[in-house]
Amino acid sequence: MKRILWLAIGLLALFPLAGAEELRVLTHSSFSLSKELIARFEKETGIQLRFIEGGSAGETLNKAILTKNAPIADVLVGVDNTFLSRALEAGIFEAYVSPEVRNLRSETILDPTLHAIPVDFGYVAINYDRDYFKDRPLPKTFGDLATPEYARLLVVENPATSSPGLAFLLATVAAFGEDGYLDFWARLRDGGVQVAKGWSEAYFAAFTRYGGDRPLVVSYTTSPAAEVYYSEGKYQEPPTGNLLFPKSAFFQVEFVGILKGSKHQAAARRFVDWLLSKEVQEDIPLNMWVFPARRDAKLPEVFKFAEIPQEPAKIPPETIARNRDRWIRAWTDVVLKGKDPKDVR
Amino acid sequence: MRKAALALFLGFLSFSLLYPLSRVLLLGAGPGFFAALGDTYYFERLLWSLEYGALSSLAVLLLALPTALGLRYAFAGRALWVALSGVPFVLPTIVVAAGFLALLGPQGVLGVNLVGTPFLLVWAAVFYNYGFAARILHGLLAKSGEELEAAARTLGAGPLRAFYRVTLPALLPGLFAAGGLTFLYTFASFGVPLILGGYRYATLEVEIYRLLAYELDFEGASALILWQIVVLSLVSLGYLFASRRLAGELGYGGLRPLRKEKAFLLGALYWAGLILLLLPLFALFFASLKTPEGLGLGNYLRLFAEEKSYFAPGLGPALKNTLRFSFLALLLAAPAGLFYALAAWRGSVLTEVLGLLPLMVSPVSLGVGYLLAYPRLQASAFLLVLAYATLAYPLFARAVIPALRGIGEEVIQAAATLGAPPWRRLFRVELPLIRPALFSGAALAFGSAAGEFGATLLLVRPEWATLSVAIYERLGKPGLANYGEAMAMSVVLLVLVAGVFYLFAKGAELG
Repeated sequence: MKRILWLAIGLLALFPLAGAEELRVLTHSSFSLSKELIARFEKETGIQLRFIEGGSAGETLNKAILTKNAPIADVLVGVDNTFLSRALEAGIFEAYVSPEVRNLRSETILDPTLHAIPVDFGYVAINYDRDYFKDRPLPKTFGDLATPEYARLLVVENPATSSPGLAFLLATVAAFGEDGYLDFWARLRDGGVQVAKGWSEAYFAAFTRYGGDRPLVVSYTTSPAAEVYYSEGKYQEPPTGNLLFPKSAFFQVEFVGILKGSKHQAAARRFVDWLLSKEVQEDIPLNMWVFPARRDAKLPEVFKFAEIPQEPAKIPPETIARNRDRWIRAWTDVVLKGKDPKDVR
Repeated sequence: MRKAALALFLGFLSFSLLYPLSRVLLLGAGPGFFAALGDTYYFERLLWSLEYGALSSLAVLLLALPTALGLRYAFAGRALWVALSGVPFVLPTIVVAAGFLALLGPQGVLGVNLVGTPFLLVWAAVFYNYGFAARILHGLLAKSGEELEAAARTLGAGPLRAFYRVTLPALLPGLFAAGGLTFLYTFASFGVPLILGGYRYATLEVEIYRLLAYELDFEGASALILWQIVVLSLVSLGYLFASRRLAGELGYGGLRPLRKEKAFLLGALYWAGLILLLLPLFALFFASLKTPEGLGLGNYLRLFAEEKSYFAPGLGPALKNTLRFSFLALLLAAPAGLFYALAAWRGSVLTEVLGLLPLMVSPVSLGVGYLLAYPRLQASAFLLVLAYATLAYPLFARAVIPALRGIGEEVIQAAATLGAPPWRRLFRVELPLIRPALFSGAALAFGSAAGEFGATLLLVRPEWATLSVAIYERLGKPGLANYGEAMAMSVVLLVLVAGVFYLFAKGAELG
């Protein structure tokens, strides 16, 4: 009996009292900032930052929605425009008119009520391996990609599990229309397109630059710049390039929002201001390989290799919200289940 | 006293299961039901889940039947063999999935990647269910088959005829029970198909999780849960029926002697088979020691090292969370299980069925039910612990009920005649008498909570990440470092669960 008592006491010791005050920041798995900047923020403000990873962008948002009565975090960073309406409809954000908002690019402000404040933006696009295409012709139109010649060279991400995958699916909807996008995908499928679960699987496993057999990959227009940067001097010119056809690149904006019910509203506001400050905005490109939302943020030298498409695909958040699930389901039916587009519509 | 126990138990059950379940069923039977029914993708999920359950049962029975027949003979280390073959059954699903990844995944020891094939999934089902299926069948053989078969042989039946006409019919309820249980466990399995099945071989349970976690679609998820529950309850009722005919202690009758060479051959066959069965676990240990610099403890050391990122939950917190929640769950599951056991001890079939309801409800559906029924409690520790307790108490009760039934009527009557009121009698007579069963029930409940995965994924908060969640998160990240850490953490969870069983077994002995 004594033994059991001790065991119980030992187990009760597992319940610590509440720790120091901290600001919990919920993000998706690709969020990153320089450690020095974070440390300086913590020192200057006395606010301890704790980053919580919620999985993919969609999963992260759903977690925030499912826990809105007992928020698991104070701030959510990384909701993008493909999920924006879901976040706004669920009413998880507190509006905040940050003084920094006037410095942001107006095209990134997709929620005029400022419940969701833009942090960064980028373009999902197809990258190609320059080495592979040295003596071979590149596709000339977006539609060319679906010919057997190119489809078997391409790896895409599953839009159900990956945000660049969803962005690329949306680009095909914008480019080929409701009537044509599934036919495009059916031809890609028949031509042998490869589907990866997420971006890193596509880029670091299937792409020819990293030992795979696919010289075309759905990635970001900044990826060629990242290749130069991480080669540490080996490349002066990017070994990869962007394929930019009209509407083949998708304009993606990421937002930050203060979660309703957070007990640290003041600290959360300071964090948002800090995230939009020039210093942090200029730190974003080399950490997350996206463009800062702030107009006056200077881009690093290597970003001269990161292209801004002339004619990106843009779909209003409400349209995406209304159709996202249907488009993904139809895509799954056609590409993964091999169904005829006619039967899916 | 039985009435009081029943009332307390029903109170618990209504809150923890009946109300959330009815909310799910109501929503699932709404317009979403027909939408899901018309969707070929979901329908194929249902078909595949049924197929997976059936294929697995068949594979398990085909292997377990000859095994049970052979177990009637003496061979070296037979008792140990029987004990070890039951080990997989209590292993956390995430550990098993990690073991199969280590053996046959992209970085697998065998060098073949079978992830995303039905073959691997069926193998995993065999891994889980083979041991207990063989045990059920053998127990039945030892109980009834022996004398009858001998009698048939004496009456002139050949060995084959005796097998088909006597032994096999005697085994029939056991075949149904073992096959039915295997079907139940695989049809609604989650962790293994989630991690090893890819999109084509996702079960209904995986699809329910995805519908909720990725699309936040309560209606669709509820409709699929409704389908799942219909199948699960039909099969569980069949199982209950079959297992009532198994009632009573399974026999462990005398062993048939064998000539030395034959016994050696049989033993070699059995032990080789067991090693083959446990191969994923060996692969897991090996993978946990594999680092880019060769074999070593690098993966383990990194788990203890200071947090290298802000993200993946470290071993310390995850271990603490696992112990903390399992302990709390036990505090709730033990009384719930005990009340149920006291009520069902000599109760009606209805009581018994009622208590086994959690077997018909999968962990993910339970999580969905809680999110739906108790929005105000979302993301509270209480729901997580309640889910653990609800899934664990039947295990506790099933260990306790046979022991209660084993107490002699005269003992209880003696206590009653001496004037002991029921509650006093419970603490002074019944409970002390069944102490070993209480300990093994507690071990089962604690172990199931420690390894719980499906409900955890839906109900956990980031700061409460348990070992299963921490392993899953690492498996989802690229890079060999994360893979190695996931393997090492799986070994830790495996050792934890094994340790719990060992400690509780010791506790039962010492008291």
